[in-house]
Amino acid sequence: MALREGGSMLGTALRPRLRPLSQCVCHRARRPASTAASDELEQNSSLVTAASAAGVVSQFDPLASSRARGGRQLPRSRYQYRPPKYYRGPLHPHQPPPPSDPASREFVPGPFSSSRLEQTYHSTIAPDILALAYTHYPPGFRPPTKAERLREWTGESPYFKNRPRKGPRGSSELPPLRKPITFRNVPKVTGVVVHSQSSEANEDSAYLHVAGMVIQAITNTRVETFKAKKAVNQWGQKKGKYVSVTATLKGEDMYDFLGRCIDLVLPRIKEWKGVRGSSGDSTGNISFGLDPVAVSYFPEIEVNYDMYPPKMIPGCHVTVQTSAVTDRDARLLLSSIGVPFYGKLVD
Amino acid sequence: MASNSISRWLSWPRTSPCLHVQQAPSPSRLLPSSQSFIQTASFSTTPSLQKRKNKNQATTDPRIKLIRYALYHPALPRPLRFSRNRSLRHWTIHRAWNLFRAKERAAQQQDLENLYNSMRDACEALRHLDEAGMSEAIGQGGKDQGRLFRIAMMKRGVWSGEKNSGSGVPIEYARAQTEYPSREGWNYAWRR
Repeated sequence: MALREGGSMLGTALRPRLRPLSQCVCHRARRPASTAASDELEQNSSLVTAASAAGVVSQFDPLASSRARGGRQLPRSRYQYRPPKYYRGPLHPHQPPPPSDPASREFVPGPFSSSRLEQTYHSTIAPDILALAYTHYPPGFRPPTKAERLREWTGESPYFKNRPRKGPRGSSELPPLRKPITFRNVPKVTGVVVHSQSSEANEDSAYLHVAGMVIQAITNTRVETFKAKKAVNQWGQKKGKYVSVTATLKGEDMYDFLGRCIDLVLPRIKEWKGVRGSSGDSTGNISFGLDPVAVSYFPEIEVNYDMYPPKMIPGCHVTVQTSAVTDRDARLLLSSIGVPFYGKLVD
Repeated sequence: MASNSISRWLSWPRTSPCLHVQQAPSPSRLLPSSQSFIQTASFSTTPSLQKRKNKNQATTDPRIKLIRYALYHPALPRPLRFSRNRSLRHWTIHRAWNLFRAKERAAQQQDLENLYNSMRDACEALRHLDEAGMSEAIGQGGKDQGRLFRIAMMKRGVWSGEKNSGSGVPIEYARAQTEYPSREGWNYAWRR
C-alpha cells in the first residue's frame, strides 16, 4: 500500500516534465505533406527513458515541499489510500488490492485446518494409485497411430475444401483423451458440487430458504440460487421460478465435506449399497444422491435438528469432480478414498 | 470475483442458524409454546374495536423466520484495515506461508517422481530377466524371458477386482489416517 502511494506521488512529480514532449509531437504532426518521409520518422524511440528523469528524482523532495506549504495540511483524503470497492477492469487506473491483502474485499482468512483426508491422500493414496495404475513402456516404444478423431471431408465436391472437420461418429462431442497415469497426473479431487432442488419452492419459498440454509450448514459455503429453465407439469414447476440451490466447494471445504460425508454420513445410511457403478459423466465426474434422512445425519444438522422444520430438510445431489478424464480412473480414486460402488461398472 | 466476495461472506459466521441465536431474537421467544405467557386480554373493560384476526390464516413457522433473517440480513463485514506494521507483518507471513506450501508441493511431486522412476527401472529389469534369473538381451533369454513383467502388466484385478468396490481397492483400505492408533486397535466384531 505504502509503495503504491509513493508511486503515485512520483508520477505527480514527473508529470510537468512530460507535458512539453507531447506538445512537441503535436507540432511535428502539423508539418506540410511535402516534407521528406525521413523527416516524418520519429528519431527517438519511445522505449528510451527521458534523460531528465534522474534529475527529477533527485529534485523530488516531498518534505521540503510540505515545509514550503507553511505547515498547512493537505485535505485529509490526500493522505489516505482507499482501495476501490469494485474491480473495474485491467485498464482502470484505480485497482483493488490483491485478494491476499486483508484490506481486499475478496480476502478469505485461513486455511485454519489441514484435512485428514487431504493429508492421507498426499501421503498414501496418491503414491498407491500411481503404483497400481503404472503401465510400462519400454524404451523406444511408439504408440500405434489411431484413426483421426476429427474426420476430414472426402469427396469430389469443391465445397469440401477448407471445410471444418467432422466430429466423431455417433456423438457430437469430442471426448477427452486419456493419457497414462504418471507422476504428473495422478487423479485427485478438484471440486465438489452440492445441489438441491425442491419443486415445492414454487408454492412456498420457505422450502428454498431452508434448503439453502441446510446446504450452507453442511458445506460451509455460500449457496447460489437458480431458476427453473423449463416448466414441468408433473412437478408443478414453473419456468423462471427459483427452485434450486447449489454450493461449489474447493480446497479445504471440499476435503472437509468429503471427509465428513465418508466417515460420518454414508456409513449410517440404512441399507445403502453404495454409489451406482453406472454413475458418472464419462469424463471423470461422479455424482450420487443423499436423501433427506441422510442429510440430517450430517453433524451440523444433527446437533440442532430442532432448528429446521423436519419436513423441509432437503435431499441433495453431490457431484465429485476429479482430475481424471475417465470414470474408471475417477472410481479408482473415489473407492480408495472410501466411497463404495455397486452394480455394473460403466465407463 | 463474485464467488470470492461471496466466500468472504462466509468468514462471517452466518452459515448456520445456531450461531445466530445470540444476535437474532431468541427462538424460544418466537415459539408458540411460550406465547401463552403473553398478556392477551385488555386491561380496560370497555370493548375494543380491534380488527378480528383471521384464525384460518397459516402463521409462518418461527424457525423459518429465523432462517430467513439469517439468510437475508444485509450487514457485510467491512474489509480489515491494518496499520503499516501489521500489514507488513501479514505480508511477510503470507509470503513465508506461500513459500512453505510451494516447497511442500515440490517435495510431494519429487516423491512421486522418484517412485515412478524406480518402478520404471524395476520393470525394465524384469523385462530382461530370463527363466534362470539372469539378465539377458531381449530375444536371447528364451521363451520365458520377461514372464514376471508380462504378468505385472496384465493389471488383473486393478480396475474391478473387489466386489462392491469401484476398483481393485478393498473398502478397508479407505481409512483416513490419524496421529495415534485407536485404543482398541481393531473392532473384531465388525463384519462386512
